[in-house]
Amino acid sequence: MTLTAPARPQGKARRRPRIGTALTYLSLVVASLVVLLPLVVIFLTSLKSYGEVSDGQGALALPDDWLNFSNYATAFNDGHMLQAFGNTAFILLFSITGTVIIGSMTAYAIDRFDFRFKKLVMALFLIATLVPAVTTQVATFQVVNSFGLFNTRWAPVLLYMGTDIVAIYIFLQFIRGIPRSLDEAARLDGANSFTIYRKIIFPLLKPAVATVVIIKGITTYNDFYIPFLYMPQEDLGTMSTALFRFKGPFGAHWEYISAGAVLVIVPTLVVFLFLQRYIYNGFAQGATK
Amino acid sequence: MTRTRTVSTASPPAPAAEPGPSGKQGSRHRARAGASWRDRPMRRITPWLFLLAPLALLITFTYVPVGNMIYYSFTDWDGVSPDRDYVGTENYTEIFTRPELFRVFAVSFYYLAASVVQIVIALYFAAVLSFDLRFRNLFKGILFFPYLINGVAIGFVFLYFFQDGGTLDSVLSWFGVGTDHAWLGTPESANTSMAGVSVWRFTGLNFVLFLGAIQSIPGELYEAAQLDGASRWQQFMHIIAPSIRPVLSLSVILAISGSLSVFEIPYIMTGGATETSTFVIQTVKFAFQFNKTGLASACAVVLLAIILVITWIQRRLVPDEKVDLV
Amino acid sequence: MGKRTLSVALLATAMLTVAGCSGGGGADAGETAAAPVNPDGVSGDITVLTNRTDLVEDGTMKKYATEFNETYPDVKVEFEGLTDYEGEVKIRMNTEDYGDVLLIPSAVAKGDYPKFFAPLGETSSMKPIYRFTDKTDVDGKTYGIATFGTANGLVYNKALWKKAGIADWPTTTEQFLDDLKAVKDKTGATPYYTNFKDGWPLESPWTNSVGSVSCDTQGHDKLADMDKPWAEGNDLNALDTLLHDIVHEKLSEKDPATTNWESSKTLLAKGKVGSMVLGSWAINQMRDAAEKAGQNPDDIGFMPLPSQKDGEFCSTLVSDYQQAVNIHSGHKEAARAWIDWFTEKSGYAAKEGAVSALKSQGMPETLKSYVDNDVKMIERSAARTAEVDAIDNASEIGLNKPDYRKKLIDIARGATDGSLQGYFDELNKRWSEARQTVGS
Repeated sequence: MTLTAPARPQGKARRRPRIGTALTYLSLVVASLVVLLPLVVIFLTSLKSYGEVSDGQGALALPDDWLNFSNYATAFNDGHMLQAFGNTAFILLFSITGTVIIGSMTAYAIDRFDFRFKKLVMALFLIATLVPAVTTQVATFQVVNSFGLFNTRWAPVLLYMGTDIVAIYIFLQFIRGIPRSLDEAARLDGANSFTIYRKIIFPLLKPAVATVVIIKGITTYNDFYIPFLYMPQEDLGTMSTALFRFKGPFGAHWEYISAGAVLVIVPTLVVFLFLQRYIYNGFAQGATK
Repeated sequence: MTRTRTVSTASPPAPAAEPGPSGKQGSRHRARAGASWRDRPMRRITPWLFLLAPLALLITFTYVPVGNMIYYSFTDWDGVSPDRDYVGTENYTEIFTRPELFRVFAVSFYYLAASVVQIVIALYFAAVLSFDLRFRNLFKGILFFPYLINGVAIGFVFLYFFQDGGTLDSVLSWFGVGTDHAWLGTPESANTSMAGVSVWRFTGLNFVLFLGAIQSIPGELYEAAQLDGASRWQQFMHIIAPSIRPVLSLSVILAISGSLSVFEIPYIMTGGATETSTFVIQTVKFAFQFNKTGLASACAVVLLAIILVITWIQRRLVPDEKVDLV
Repeated sequence: MGKRTLSVALLATAMLTVAGCSGGGGADAGETAAAPVNPDGVSGDITVLTNRTDLVEDGTMKKYATEFNETYPDVKVEFEGLTDYEGEVKIRMNTEDYGDVLLIPSAVAKGDYPKFFAPLGETSSMKPIYRFTDKTDVDGKTYGIATFGTANGLVYNKALWKKAGIADWPTTTEQFLDDLKAVKDKTGATPYYTNFKDGWPLESPWTNSVGSVSCDTQGHDKLADMDKPWAEGNDLNALDTLLHDIVHEKLSEKDPATTNWESSKTLLAKGKVGSMVLGSWAINQMRDAAEKAGQNPDDIGFMPLPSQKDGEFCSTLVSDYQQAVNIHSGHKEAARAWIDWFTEKSGYAAKEGAVSALKSQGMPETLKSYVDNDVKMIERSAARTAEVDAIDNASEIGLNKPDYRKKLIDIARGATDGSLQGYFDELNKRWSEARQTVGS
């Protein structure tokens, strides 16, 4: 991760009063500490032995052996993390692809066309996000089951694709930034709406796609309730449910649970570090085109 | 974004236009564009072709269940039995004759306050980090990261955090504040603690949405403002604030509806004990512990109605947002 | 991929079965899931739902399946461990896909058993062989066989109590509280652990003890006729007062909001915690925990609740979950074979230190202290469970849910406003009102 890459070089010219700057940095450092502390403690705990955790040295005590990764081995094997990772990857791949396609198509249709009931459609998407999902689960379960999707990885995939106002919203913002003259020019060249969407709009949405992939990917990766409810089968665990099930037999062992939690967090961290540059740069590029 | 705003001041963008004679804007729009293909039937069908799959999914997995839920709310179904009887509005009568059912909304205020804190923090840091700073990307990453973390992992992290002799107690003892306060042990403390977790977890999302909106403002605007001698605060008020209003509006709606329907964090951390129950937890308990699926469905319908009304009021109060969102 | 194809195929089969079934208006509803005569003729894939996720995770269940396959080579057994068993199964009961063998969830009203489960036989012929048949008896047919039964009482650390100078089992609540105080003062240990956070240790261990105080096999059934179950002299009053007083006198853990069941086992084994009200099934788990923590497993003791009836200690014997066969199962014979094998041959109940469902088997070794000290063990009747549950649900009290005792504890430790008597009055009022509703 580059630490000081300025996204907007023109800002370099500014210099603020010292105190204001100091306070700004102080607030940033404090916020960072608040964010990191609970996580660092879990990381420390994951390196401790059972004895160290249980003899009450306090949560902030450093582990005796910084290279004690045995808890990770236990969590990885007994938590069936590999299998969980595979299932999660499968679900992520399909649900994100679906969300990107569906979200951008919806945004395109809403922004570029006049049609009856447009407000109604938009309202339907908005209201859908307001429905507390837990309260409709009995009915949703019946729908999923009637498609024969129970205990398959397609159940979460379809449910995740279903409604995502945030994705639609991000695409909407970007599509609005794309000049209509591009559409019209293409149309004069004889392109139909689908071609315009595919050849002109969608490629320009790349930065938005990155954002949606991140946001959607994370919600999907982290979601617990849907895989918990729709895929109880032993070999259909996802990262969330695997961690949750792992806790059962190891409830007393904070060192194992911590290792499991770190294992679940690490892929997120890695992916985030790789995509971070892309997503932040993407914002700037996409907006200033 | 800016482009949209420019367009919207010059002539209202298409989204705001009502079809048919009701909207003057619509006809103006049509006149302006003028091309003949607009009048062909294809033009009318095309958007629906794009919306076919999204709407099918939306209806199948959201509105069919909601429809069923409304239907159940008029029955005495226990959630399992194949038999259910139509009981009319009995469930709704019960809800409104039992004021204690609404007492749990008091807990929502903790989360509502938390959402306000969350939005303010997110705005502050989005504004700060939209300028050039040392370690900018590092701070950005750190602030956003909690939102990326798995909810189950967060549950464990904070269970350990609030435990007797856990992270929080250890940190406090560093500062010489020895305490054996049971953080989740009293109603006020437990609700505050969990609202805090909610801030910790969700600020990152708001932050990134705000930051995205801010950064979509072209740099020339800042340069122009700087040439005019505008302070950072003035830049914020006149350039940043207007451009993030739609995202802010969305955040507010989601914050309100979110705090009314809080579920996950208290359900995992306290199970709703010690007066930390929320309306959704209460509803889930009706359905799953006491087999009153009919009543629970009615509760869910009432909650949905409340949220819709609040959203409607909120959008009335901020009418500008209508143009941007739809 | 193979797995999914398989489950799709299973689902298709299940749906076909359903189609055939609904066509005839539940024609095969009465078909008994009979035990197979010849093990070789039995085949099929069956799914077994269980709440014991720990045994699924650590492979114990798979071992049982392997042993089962020695007798029934053509039956493939798959397990699904459900963490929130009641919640998840309840949702699945709306479909036909709730496994072939499952534990009867409390969400299903007893009268609805014939709609969901295949009968296992006439109660008249089952009763002489199995304990706890009345719990699943509907119209003369039995729908479930208990995985095991459990006696109720207090698991305690004998060494710790000895250190506190206590030799005999307390016979009254006052004595018990004095003993707990002695444990606290002399050893510094936490005398009692509520397991507040996990919740379930506040449900079944306590409610299953209804009947222990009055030494009445009908103790639980009688709740259906009571207007004020929490009135002075009733079991629920005695039990909940005991819990209240323990917490009120600060004899329980300091921070109930962050308790953990798994660690509580170690705490008890190490003598950092003095006692917990639990079923006798917990004894073996505690002993395992003691062994793992390098303590003496024999220090784990089990004593009846501190009350005597006519100079005798009394403890209820109560059925745990009962296994049943899904009425929509395509392999009822195989499913039944599994239940019978699991009950008779697996040694599950013995391994868990619990009471076998088979009358032919005596009390397990874990209950030696009860047998030696002539604790009267009564098999509690469950004949009127349906009525009691209906009142319980209508009142939204939840005798087998954690919330009402959590509130009791919150009142006892002053986290919530209220008094014990005020709370009992409220519970009585809700109970009697619910009786009216359900009765009408």
